[in-house]
Amino acid sequence: MKNPYLPELARIINFRDETPDTRTFEIEPISNDEIRGMPGQFVEVMVFGYGEAPFSISGIRNHPIELTVRRIGTVTNALFKLSQGDIVGVRGPFGRGWPLEKLFNKNILIIAGGIGLAPLRPLIHFIINNRYRFGNVDLLYGARTPELLLYKDELERWSREINVHLTVDKPEPEWRGRVGVVTILFDEIDIDPSSTIALQCGPPIMMHFVTRKLRELGFSDNNIYLSLERLMKCGMGMCGKCTVSGTYVCLNGPVFQCREIRGFIERVPEIGE
Amino acid sequence: MSISGVKLLRSYLITKSNLYELLERISERNKLYAPLRHGDQVVLDLAKSINDILIDYIGHSTLPLKKILIPPREILYEYWIEKKSVTINDNLDKIASERIVIFGIRACDIKSIEILDKVFLREFHDPYYKKRRENTVIIGLTCVSPDKNCFCYFTRSGPEITSGYDLLLTKINEHYLVDVGSEKGESIIISNKELFSDATPESLEVKARIVKETIIKIKDKNDLPFFNEVYDQLVKRFDSREWKEISSLCLSCGKCNFVCPTCTCFDIIDEFDPIRNRGKRIRVWDSCHFLSFTRVASGEIFRKDRSSRIKQRIYHKIVYSVNDIGTISCTGCGRCIEVCPVGIDIREIVRNLAR
Repeated sequence: MKNPYLPELARIINFRDETPDTRTFEIEPISNDEIRGMPGQFVEVMVFGYGEAPFSISGIRNHPIELTVRRIGTVTNALFKLSQGDIVGVRGPFGRGWPLEKLFNKNILIIAGGIGLAPLRPLIHFIINNRYRFGNVDLLYGARTPELLLYKDELERWSREINVHLTVDKPEPEWRGRVGVVTILFDEIDIDPSSTIALQCGPPIMMHFVTRKLRELGFSDNNIYLSLERLMKCGMGMCGKCTVSGTYVCLNGPVFQCREIRGFIERVPEIGE
Repeated sequence: MSISGVKLLRSYLITKSNLYELLERISERNKLYAPLRHGDQVVLDLAKSINDILIDYIGHSTLPLKKILIPPREILYEYWIEKKSVTINDNLDKIASERIVIFGIRACDIKSIEILDKVFLREFHDPYYKKRRENTVIIGLTCVSPDKNCFCYFTRSGPEITSGYDLLLTKINEHYLVDVGSEKGESIIISNKELFSDATPESLEVKARIVKETIIKIKDKNDLPFFNEVYDQLVKRFDSREWKEISSLCLSCGKCNFVCPTCTCFDIIDEFDPIRNRGKRIRVWDSCHFLSFTRVASGEIFRKDRSSRIKQRIYHKIVYSVNDIGTISCTGCGRCIEVCPVGIDIREIVRNLAR
């Protein structure tokens, strides 16, 4: 059996800047094996000489997988110094992604904050590619500034297939859209909580308020899903760093049904009452 | 001996001098770890001389068995970078194929193996752990002199243990009763037949009596609920105000984690030599009491409050483990009590919360 601690060597095929501090990398194993990720799963990327960090998969349409990375620590700073053709290591994919089978024939409400749109992007691609299998689809997306919105050109294209609602905390002069936290966008949508599944990813404080709002609107905890960010060091349910109330986020998450989280005895800030 | 497919594991007797002879033979072909005297401590370490091995000692070794199966610091792999390529060398290949024999551990440590197995050999198999585990023979030694902090009776992990070992020795007067727990154990007996005699019915009775006496010794020092029966009470008291009080003492030093036979959380760190372009990924023990334990890239720390960290360890042992692997993961060894610099005592915590 393959040693799951050893990364597979992979090449950076391409990259593009999304924002001043965020970049999307296309990565492909040099063995030409496919990394078969599902929307919402994550991989561990080893930047040789620096270390390893978990990243959610932000694109699985093509042969190379895509990872949208914010430059924030040692590993990501080192990753940003690499160029086309450079080698990294990849382990995974790991974890449980978005519950695709529960979404068919439902209305979909996606709520994202900042870099939190990255793990939702493969789901949005999946929905758009199978558009007839879903009812109304709304995306509520907020970023700190217009400049920090991810996938700007795609947002435009997505808006032809799904309803895209945007807001920023701090507008720039040319910004014509909404200003404020992502929950203000709820006034733009008309949803039936009983036939809608809500899926969210963003900073804990955002998810906290979004979850609260969803419950106010009458959403049951069964129809709310969240992707939790925790320190998934090994990715395999051993190192213990990602556990929440004893549950391994790397094995049983990162996507959880709100009801599962509600059953935890340890407080989870993302749904805190 | 086999009756309808069930192998009956037998018991034998061995004299003290034959036991030393057995250990001598074992040490010739294996890495033999045993309890040794180190200052005022008993340490589990490589026995250089058979005469150094402690056979009658109080309590247990300072560090538990996990230090052998998951070393405090272990290189997982090494790599070097050349121009546009990277070569990886798995350190698994270097884990000696020589066999390890661990002699003289108590029920509390034998029980821990069952828990370690459930963590390291489930959905994913940890190959480093697995290789060592497969190469390891366990020869336990029944505890007859529990230390002042021992409470294995209340975690139902001792002083008697009936599985998890290959051989289990119990001192019976001038002999040692040898219980066989596995085929590996049986094969040790077979290849050293002349050192053993068959167990007598009296010796089995003496063992039963000794175990009873040891339980009484533990009960005399402890007035505790059974730790596998306090799940509901602990769940109910997760937000109890008492936690503030308990955690106000805690220094978050992590000693309790490091000496615990079932605290397995680890970090993986990197070492890199920029001149030779070589690096190592190294697994090191970690502690859920450290503030950095839950820190993610964005800087968020999910257990900022000291009480949330002390609760993490206690609830892991008594509640989360039951959910996760079906058993509590405290084996009652009392090491965390011994080493705590401020006197935090898991027995008191559980006793109070279970009330």
